[in-house]
Amino acid sequence: MRAVIVLLGMVVPGPAAAGAPLAHREVLPNGIVLLVAERPAVPIVAVRVLARAGAVFDPDDRAGLAHLTGALLTRGTATRTAPEVDSAIEFVGGSLEAVAGRDNLTVALSVQKKDLALGLDLVSEVVLSPTFPPAEVTRKVSEIQAAIRRSEEDPGTVASRVLARLVYPGHPYGVPVEGTRESVARLTRDDVVKFYAQQVRPDTTVVAVVGAVTVDEARREITARLGAWARPAGAPQSITPVTAPASPREETVKRELTQSTIMFGRLAIRQTDPDYFPLSVASYVLGGGSASRLYARVRDEAGLAYAVYSWLSTARYGAAFAVTAQTRTAEAPKVVVMVREELARMTRGAVAERELALAKQYLVGSFPFRLDTSGKVADFLVAVEDQGLGLDYADRYKERIARVTARDVQRVAAKYFPPATFNRVTVGEIK
Amino acid sequence: MRTVVVFLLVVSLLAPSAAPAADRVVATTLDNGLRVLLLEDHRSPIVSFQVWYRVGSRNEQRGATGIAHFLEHMMFKGTPTRGPKQFARLVEENGGQDNAFTSQDVTSYFVDIAADKLDLVIELEADRMQNLLLDAKQIASEREVVIEERRTRTEDDPGGFLSEEVSSIAFKAHPYGYPIIGWMEDIKRITPAEIRAFYRTYYIPNNAMVVAVGAFQAPAALEKIRRSFGRIPRGRTPAPVLAVEPPQNGERRVTVRKEAELPIVYLGWHVPNQRSDDAPALEVLSTILSGGRASRLYRDLVYQRQLALEAGGDYSYFSIDPNLFWFWATPMPGQTPETLEAELSKHMERLKAEPVTDEELARAKNQIESAFVFQEDSVHRRAALLARFELIGGYALKDSFITKIRAVTVADLTRVAGVWFAPERKSVGVLLPKPR
Repeated sequence: MRAVIVLLGMVVPGPAAAGAPLAHREVLPNGIVLLVAERPAVPIVAVRVLARAGAVFDPDDRAGLAHLTGALLTRGTATRTAPEVDSAIEFVGGSLEAVAGRDNLTVALSVQKKDLALGLDLVSEVVLSPTFPPAEVTRKVSEIQAAIRRSEEDPGTVASRVLARLVYPGHPYGVPVEGTRESVARLTRDDVVKFYAQQVRPDTTVVAVVGAVTVDEARREITARLGAWARPAGAPQSITPVTAPASPREETVKRELTQSTIMFGRLAIRQTDPDYFPLSVASYVLGGGSASRLYARVRDEAGLAYAVYSWLSTARYGAAFAVTAQTRTAEAPKVVVMVREELARMTRGAVAERELALAKQYLVGSFPFRLDTSGKVADFLVAVEDQGLGLDYADRYKERIARVTARDVQRVAAKYFPPATFNRVTVGEIK
Repeated sequence: MRTVVVFLLVVSLLAPSAAPAADRVVATTLDNGLRVLLLEDHRSPIVSFQVWYRVGSRNEQRGATGIAHFLEHMMFKGTPTRGPKQFARLVEENGGQDNAFTSQDVTSYFVDIAADKLDLVIELEADRMQNLLLDAKQIASEREVVIEERRTRTEDDPGGFLSEEVSSIAFKAHPYGYPIIGWMEDIKRITPAEIRAFYRTYYIPNNAMVVAVGAFQAPAALEKIRRSFGRIPRGRTPAPVLAVEPPQNGERRVTVRKEAELPIVYLGWHVPNQRSDDAPALEVLSTILSGGRASRLYRDLVYQRQLALEAGGDYSYFSIDPNLFWFWATPMPGQTPETLEAELSKHMERLKAEPVTDEELARAKNQIESAFVFQEDSVHRRAALLARFELIGGYALKDSFITKIRAVTVADLTRVAGVWFAPERKSVGVLLPKPR
């Protein structure tokens, strides 16, 4: 495939058919937000349970706690052992995964319609009654440590971790979601139990049910299983957003590789900011697709990279904008110059009409493919709810993107693209 | 643009899709030999339009490996009427997404786009089937891109590097031993003349297939395809791939040392492809061994005994020629590759010696069938699945696939394990980390 678009938690929302509501939304008495989209044609159902229990809530000295908690949710419940959970869902050819990211912990279910009751039973068990058996905690800790070690082989992962530390100094976003081998070694079952009890609660949970199911059926089945989940006393924990960007820094990591992986990054803005729309267009013009400026210059014309692209990474407490390229070691300085020049060029002059039109038409026109399966719709719904964008966000996105002018693009580029404002990481055979 | 989905390992069973589709497929072959499969799907106003060429690294020669993939990159570099970069521009400014991949057997191009843009895509694809520029300067520049791609996927990726080495010792005669992306030396050497000849030989309507699934009227779409592709002249039938891999008469082994954190072990056995009556049983066997967390390798090696960080297996049901049945494992820190190799082999021996349980068999069948149903949700995957079955003999095979899977018995599994997994038919690859 052409290029690896690594989306760090990126939501690229856009339009649905204008006017058609994306989903039914209601709030259950215990605070759960329930979203339902009926897609009757294919007899499958996708369910997402999103709890505001991501790594951003890890205590300072407990990096990796949310990630460990997420990984343990399916590893034993009040009624089933981990192997029993696995066997139950896999016997019907379904899947059940629980994983924590930066902001949230998500449980994802995919089943055939005929197996929905079983699937929802399993979802409610892992959400409401995980038992965190001590042997499973020990097992998972060593597995995560090994996975962290293995990920050190991947230059993109190594570069992303360093970049996060530079972009978010002193903020939980600067710490890897999975923690470090050392921090994970310190985590205990008590930490997990406490984290789960504090952070996984109905009043910050969003449930999406999408597929061959009706609103009534979804409401009935979800209420039957999650309706009695009691809201705890006390307000949910709040997190301080990242505000002022830190002074940009540069770092290198030496690895014996034939390529250098270069990443530029800085703070940006969330979808709730009106400038998000022109910034999305600016990012697409710069490095969003195979007609972008970076792709044309670094890849098509200079033959210096296979992968070169930019992206906006959305996150509740501090969005980021980044550019990355992988090139042969000897040419890394040249690619750094090219990226900086292209960033600067975006700030200096207006984008051409054709570039603008292409970016806008792509962002709007490709949107239906972001909602073309029940799984994708479910992911989109919980993200829109979590980010507080509203169910009309799809239509609004389309309309806002359509209104972006060349002048808007230059204005946001002048604000967010000055090369001197970027942190930079290089992983490779640095002399 | 673009690249190889180098799927040597873990192209997980392109799980096929459920029945209701195939009977509504409009299938025809144009006078010039172009095969056309159309399936209306009106759930969303979108279409996936795909062109599959029956050419991959399987059709390459020693000294010119990677040419099929190199050509795939060049397919985005323009025709006389649509210059370099125009293809991507036209697709993107119409809100479409396009890409391509090269495998051992095929090269596939797709555009996923709003259904009302279908005519444009048909014209673009027909144009580049016949009129590709293949300009020497563009080839020179794209060569560097392909080299970078190889560095990313192979030179700097321990798993990619090892799988290439194992394939190359497992196949002595058949081109499945060549890396899809090509050896570095070949990528650097291949000439524009060779690429042009390869294009003329294989990019002909009678060696290609058009598959579209989406919100269109099949008769109108077919008419448009006929007008655009129908005027491309039939080419001379490409020479068949004659190489047959001789039986392996002893274990083969390769050890690679590379900067890495953990070792990797790969085992590959020569097995038959879908033409064999044993193929459905091999498919089920692969699922029992490695389909999910209840599978044997995960449950035993990863979960219960924690010997491996990852362990799995893969069988290429759709392979045009007989290919390898893969096993792999990444040892946990403190475990050795020798241990994991022995454990993987023990699992194979156990399959020969004792029957799988009824539950294991039923679960594997349900997983395979369910994956079929899930694929029906995406027009892109529906189209790709039709193409996969058409390539092995006809899209209608899709309907009998599940029947064949359902018919597999416990005794079949014991038998195929005994027939195909002899130690002397095995190739072993070990990656040993070189400390930083």
